[in-house]
Amino acid sequence: MTTARKGEDRGTTVPPDARARLGQVADAMIESGAGLPSGAQAGVHTGLLDQVVKTRPDLVAPLLRALDELGPDPGLAAVERLAERRPELYEALALVVAGGYLMSSRVTAPLKYRFAEIKIVDPRDIAVVVEEGLLDAVAERTPFYRLPPDAPPEHRP
Amino acid sequence: MRDDCDVLIVGAGPSGAVAAQEFARAGMRVTCLEQGDWPDYEKARAGHADFELTSRKYWNWDPNQRRAAGDYPIDDTESDITALMYNGVGGGTVLYAAHWERFLPSDFRTRTMDGVGDDWPIGYWDLEPYYDEVERQFAVSGLEGDPALPPTTPPPLPPVPLNKLGRRGAEALNKLGWHWWPGSNAIATADYGPLHACAQRTACPFGCPTGAKASADRTHWRALAKDQVRLTVRATVEQVLLDDRGRATGVTYLDADGVRHEIRAGVVVLCANAIGTTRILLASADGTGVANSSGLVGRRLMMHPFGNAIGIFDEDLESWRGPLGQYLHSLEFYESDRSRGFVRGAKWNLLPSGAPLSFMLPGTWGDEPVWGANFTRLLRERHGHSAIWGVICEDLPDPANRVLLDEQAAADGVPGVRIQYRTSDNSRAMMAWHLERLSEVLDAMGAKKKIFNPNLRGTGWHLMGTAVMGEDPDASVVDPHGRCHDVPNLYVFDGSVFPTSSGVNPTATIAANALRCARSLVAHRRDVEVPA
Repeated sequence: MTTARKGEDRGTTVPPDARARLGQVADAMIESGAGLPSGAQAGVHTGLLDQVVKTRPDLVAPLLRALDELGPDPGLAAVERLAERRPELYEALALVVAGGYLMSSRVTAPLKYRFAEIKIVDPRDIAVVVEEGLLDAVAERTPFYRLPPDAPPEHRP
Repeated sequence: MRDDCDVLIVGAGPSGAVAAQEFARAGMRVTCLEQGDWPDYEKARAGHADFELTSRKYWNWDPNQRRAAGDYPIDDTESDITALMYNGVGGGTVLYAAHWERFLPSDFRTRTMDGVGDDWPIGYWDLEPYYDEVERQFAVSGLEGDPALPPTTPPPLPPVPLNKLGRRGAEALNKLGWHWWPGSNAIATADYGPLHACAQRTACPFGCPTGAKASADRTHWRALAKDQVRLTVRATVEQVLLDDRGRATGVTYLDADGVRHEIRAGVVVLCANAIGTTRILLASADGTGVANSSGLVGRRLMMHPFGNAIGIFDEDLESWRGPLGQYLHSLEFYESDRSRGFVRGAKWNLLPSGAPLSFMLPGTWGDEPVWGANFTRLLRERHGHSAIWGVICEDLPDPANRVLLDEQAAADGVPGVRIQYRTSDNSRAMMAWHLERLSEVLDAMGAKKKIFNPNLRGTGWHLMGTAVMGEDPDASVVDPHGRCHDVPNLYVFDGSVFPTSSGVNPTATIAANALRCARSLVAHRRDVEVPA
């Protein structure tokens, strides 16, 4: 069981035994591969969890209940059972695991996901598109919207 | 506690913003009550690692999930679509993706031209000058010359770039000989008034940190609230008050501490969206309702069945980057053709996939199991390599689709609502047909995988129809200028008044129609019957 220790605030604190259990589940839910770490290797149950809790303290209580519900063998089969039986707890678990994982620079760097990078739009882009002729075929089409019978005469072809 | 003003607006979304600006410019004393609060852009976290986790709570489109100040319970258990909204300054424009689309001429004449729905009491060309004006107010970026639309005044800003993904879509549509046009969006592509040029963070519906998206809190309210309009936030209107002669005298509202106030006004204008406006009308007169002699208040709810077609590509298309407005739209199959097995049509728009959590949680990205060994493989496969085609189907009005009060779900003494909505057979046939065509587009784009999601549930962004406008008081709630047939100084300016929904995003038309109605009210203000 991953119950909070006496004196700990179950609302915002994830106790060590729950963290260990989360590490197990995270490795089952996200195995390493494709040049990317597993859930636990990325730190879903350690530093990333601290960031998740800081961002979304509302997820702590359902996460702890989800970890309790998984039973003695918190593998993928248990996660699937949780999804069927307690979808709201499963949703919290999935958010913590996947959401935390995707916050890791060990994941975003190999993906070349440069989320902090800004790229201000270039308003001249459309001029290039027009110059290249990409729009020509469309622009040359006869207007194809339908005119209502009461359209003003000046708008009729 | 009492107060007085010439015009009281309920709701600080796009229709309330446009109307408030118009009234203030005419020298009227304007008060606006908004039941939510100002958006907190400290929570606009695009560019930070916690962006997606934060946005799923703070910028959640579903008020039942978000539960912020101003949100009220909406029971959607009897609805095929979840109603989405942002209760706060800016209203729906805080969460919209900023796709800025004019309705087409045929949208205003569906009864005459296709034998379905109802004709509007106004036509496209009645709204045209107002479209031009609101496009400047909302910093619209786009390109004139679209052959799917009547000729328009050039929008104030050039369109967002196509990027790799938009080009791929445009080339495919060219191959098929089908229409496309650079996207029209309320997204600044250069510094414009209070807005800044888009930084392409795919954050449009989740709190734009750049200040590029034209949400009404930024384009209108920050300036108006300084010295032109008295804007009170966290003010939940309970009901419209009437005098003995049936004229509106003002409203009662609850402040953030639950203290009841009464505010008097010469004219009351409801701009609280098709669900919030219904809630107020039905809850007024102590729950017996006002302005409802037609029995149509709350009926004819339209929410636009929405689906999508997702393509996954071998090439890196940098689909995590870009505006989450639309790169381009296609109206190739927008107009009616009954040989397709349905009437009316749909708009397509091409979007980048955005940040990764949205496509790595089970739900709308196909049946492949996500967890275990698949997670990292699918993450590699999808991230940066995915395109989403959205499909918006015209939703025809049905009196059985409706909004009702839910007394059991009262929040602070103000009733919640429940909605009853079923997607029509026509909409389902339309969606299936359009997704088949988009399958052809994805093939032409070279997609290696295709995923189709017809009739997604959590997509009720477009709320329309529940206080329909028309000439006949027996068949409509408001007249063609938004004035309630039953209460001569009570108006509705939001999307509630739409007789039909079109098959495109409605904000441009909500704003244009609000401006038209506000200007009419200003012009005729001396004729408006106000309480003694």
